[in-house]
This record gives sequence, structure tokens and C-alpha cells, in this order.
Amino acid sequence: MARRHTGTGPGSRIKIGGLLMASPPIIVAAVFVGFPIIVAIAYSLGHVGGLNRTIATIARGQHTVGAWDRMSLGAYRDVFTDPRFTHDLGVTIIVTLIATLAVTALAWVIAVYLRTTPEGAWFRSGVAKLISGLAVVPMFIPVVIASWAMLTFYAADGFIRSLCADLGFQGPTWGYTMVCVAIGLVWTNLPFATLMITSGVQSVPDALIEAARDAGAGLLTIVRTVIAPLTIVPTVIALTFTAIGTLGAFTMPYFTGPNAPSMLGVDMVSYFRSYNRPQQSVVMAVVVFAVAAVFGAFYVWANFRSAKDSGRV
Amino acid sequence: MPVSTMVTKIARQVLTVIFVVALLTFIVGPLLWLAIRAFSTSWTYPRLLPDGWTLQWFGRVFDDPQLFSSIRLSIEFAITTLIVSSVICLPAAYAFSRFDFPGRRVFLIGLFATNAFPKTGLYVALAALFYAFNLMSTFGGVVVVHLLGTIVFMTWIPAAAFASVPRSFEEAARDAGGGRLRVFFTITLPLAMPGILVALIMSFLASFDEAQGTYLVGAPEFYTMPTEMYSLVLNYPRQVAAVFSILLSIPSVVLLMLVRKHVMGGQLAEGFQIR
Repeated sequence: MARRHTGTGPGSRIKIGGLLMASPPIIVAAVFVGFPIIVAIAYSLGHVGGLNRTIATIARGQHTVGAWDRMSLGAYRDVFTDPRFTHDLGVTIIVTLIATLAVTALAWVIAVYLRTTPEGAWFRSGVAKLISGLAVVPMFIPVVIASWAMLTFYAADGFIRSLCADLGFQGPTWGYTMVCVAIGLVWTNLPFATLMITSGVQSVPDALIEAARDAGAGLLTIVRTVIAPLTIVPTVIALTFTAIGTLGAFTMPYFTGPNAPSMLGVDMVSYFRSYNRPQQSVVMAVVVFAVAAVFGAFYVWANFRSAKDSGRV
Repeated sequence: MPVSTMVTKIARQVLTVIFVVALLTFIVGPLLWLAIRAFSTSWTYPRLLPDGWTLQWFGRVFDDPQLFSSIRLSIEFAITTLIVSSVICLPAAYAFSRFDFPGRRVFLIGLFATNAFPKTGLYVALAALFYAFNLMSTFGGVVVVHLLGTIVFMTWIPAAAFASVPRSFEEAARDAGGGRLRVFFTITLPLAMPGILVALIMSFLASFDEAQGTYLVGAPEFYTMPTEMYSLVLNYPRQVAAVFSILLSIPSVVLLMLVRKHVMGGQLAEGFQIR
């Protein structure tokens, strides 16, 4: 392998060597992510030959085409004329937006609090240590456990209702509702967003913040005019990841959500496993990919913009 | 200090305390509420504590062969995934950070795109194809699903770690007569180790905690600890599910504690920015 003149020599052997070394994960991603998605899209359009033959022989309610250059939107029509799906799609998007905004807002509050805590202020630095520790706790807990914990906490006989009952009033039952799903998704996504945004806010130079403070700027002005513009990229990464994670969530809504409406992650698995209608399940997957692509494009754009700003491209 | 400033200061501290208590309840409350149940004989609504205390449910879990085998299976999958992922991804991470080859950026972003597909949708697409490859309900099929969850961690974070090792260190060692491999193992690798460790542990846990893909591809042959939870909560007393939850959380808590400093110190965040 050409590993001799790393980085310095422009020899073509090094380039090929680097490409060879870098290729295994690329091949895995191409074979087990890119390829299945293309095959699945073909299947959703009615192509049941080739690699789709096995699944097509055991599936019910399929729409098929006879030639490779044809396509059938029958499965899409099935899915989109089902009022349950359109309702679930709406619910999924709303829950995704709410959870994503809540996670980002909470992460920002934590990050700004940490950044603006002066040294030596015992009360504030104690609080800062506590909340930054708290915010990463969910990363330590498997999602299945978190989902089950959320359900028992907000259930009819859970902590919230028990506490309210002891205080003498009727508390809300959020278990098996979309409220619990949204709360749970905020919970599971908080650590990543907090780490991203905190790390971004921390890297804003002290001098800039102090200069703004000397000029008489209040906290909100400093956040808006100094910190925020320098933290766009980490914020966008946090937003995108939370949104994509929420769109594809299965475990949290499966455990804590109602039977109907449910999020699309749950619908996809039940169409695939329980109803034996994989083609419709794949159609939903394609729809979810399309929604996620919008968020993903946003992420790539933000990252490229920052790379351009700092002269890395 | 004027009275009005004092009042604002106290009001601000009271608000802060309320925020902290709310956050504490939101984050830790559900976990505590679940953990306490593992030690309870029974629990009557609306009491805030169980009716009595017991350890019997732990025995119940350890005596159940099915539950116990799921623990072993989870560890087997996690270790296999980690080995496969290391072999595939670590050399690539080094190449991404040290070599300049055509398409480097495109490939790096392309790898990242594997995370841009909502998980359940991706697994559904994958499962459809697994039927053709005879990978449905096989050990290999589950490993592939787990592997996909580790690729971004195992290339991006170590790549950032390798890139942060100054080239001048390596060049100095090489000038002093160190061979290429020796320089790598004595200079580059140790300096990049914190980042690699974070990646390894994140990957181990990604596999250990993976539930939805394992359920879709592995059931009914392979039930790992997380997928066992799906049926456990329906078929067993709630205390057994609580015990199982505690057991399933132990590896995550222990391993993440080990790298907590590096994760909080920005290794993870660093690894997710395109370079």
C-alpha cells in the first residue's frame, strides 16, 4: 500500500492508496443504504422482479407493472387515499416540528446560561454544572428504557397524576397520547442538541462578548447579535439531527403513543410486519425520506456555507 | 446595594431554582420512578412510594432462561459489530484525515448521509432486500443493521481525532528515524486515542441499545435485550420490566461515564462538522 509520503507528495499511488483505504465504509453504505433505497423505490412503483421477487411473493395487496420502463402509482394512491395515513403524516410532521423546536430552544437556554456564567459566582456555577450534567443524562439510557420510563411517569397511575392527586386536584393523563410521545422525543434528543450547541456557543471568543457588554448590550442583544451568528452551523446540525431522528422514531411512539393517530415509524413497521403489506410500508418510507431530504439539504447547505466562510473549501 | 437590585437578584435566583427543579423532574423523574418500581412489592395509586420493598424480582429475571439468553445475545451482537466496524471504518478514518484523494469530500458527506435517512424507513427498505439475500432473521442480517448505526461514529469522530494530531509531531518522529508504522503506533494512534475511544463506546452502545431494526430484521429468531423489552412489558409484571431496565442501563451508564469527559469536552461535537 502506498503509505510513504503521506500528504506531502502528490503522487498518484498515494491517491489510489487513500481511496482504497477509505473505500470499505463507502462500499458498506452503498450496498446497505443506497442500493436498498433504490430497489425499494422501484418496488414502491410496482417493480416486483429481480431482488424484489422474494418479498413480492409473500406480500398482499400489491400493485405491479410488467415492464421495466413502466411504473404504477397504485401503491402511492392506496396510501395517500387512506385518511389514516394522511392524518398520521400530519401528526408526524407536527410532532417533529414541536419536538425539534423545543429541543433546540432548551439546548440554547442551557448553552447561553453556561457561557455567561461568570467565574467565582458560586450559585450560578453550581447551577451551570448541574444543568449541563442533567442535559446529557438521556444519552446514558437506551431508548427502550426511556420510552417505558416515560410511559409509567405520565400514565394514569404515574408520578404526575399521583402528585396532583396528593395536592388535591385531578392531574392530566398523558400516557398513550401524543403529548407523551413529544415529551419523550424531546427527552431522548436533548443530549445531542445540547452538546452541539454548547460546544458552538463556548467557542465564541470572550473578547467579542465583553466588547458587546462594554458597549452596554443586554443579554438578549448579545445572544442575538454576537453569539447566534457564530453558532448557526452547530444549531442547524442539532435541528437536522433532531428532526430526522424524530421522523424515523419507532420505539418512543410505539410505547407511549395512542393506537391512532400514530407516527409514521409505527405505521411502517405494522404495515411491514403485521399487515403483510410491505409495498405500502415502503411507500411510506419513501415519503419520510422526501421529508427528511428537505432537512438534510438544509444541513449540507449550512455546513458548506461555514466551510466557505472559514476558507476551508 | 439598592433594594431594587436585591429584589431582581432574588427573583432571578428563584426563577433559576424553578427551572432547575423542572429540568430535574423532567430528566431524572421518569428514571427514578421506574427504578424504584424494581424494588417494590406493589404500588397503590396515588402513593408516591411503593407499598413494600423486595428484591424478589431480580431473582425472577436471572432464573428466566429466555431473558438471560437475550442478555448474552446482546453482548455477542455488540462485540461482533464493534470488531467488524473497527476493521471497516478505522483505516478509512485515517485515510480521510491524512490523504487527499479524488472524491474525498463527496464520500465523507455521502457516509454522513447514511444518518440522514430516518431509521425506520431505512430498515423497512433494507428488510425488503434482506428477503432476497436470505438475511432475514439471521445473525449476519442483524449485524448489518447494527453496523449501519456505527458507520458515522466510527469514521467521522476518529477522522477528526487523527486530523487533530499535528503533522509536525509525525514529521519530527520520522526525521528522528522512526519508520512509518512505528510513528503511527507510537505518536499518531496514542494522540488520537480519546476520539477513537469515544467512537468505540458510542458504537458499542449503538449496537447494544438498537431495538427497532433488530426487531424488524431479527425477530422471531433473535431477541436482544432491547427487543425483549417490547414483549416483556406486555407479558410480565411491571416490576420485572423495571429490573430488566436497570440491567440494560448498566453497561451504557458505566461505559459513558468512562468517556464522559471527552464527550462533554467536545470530541463528539467536533466529529460532526465537515472538514
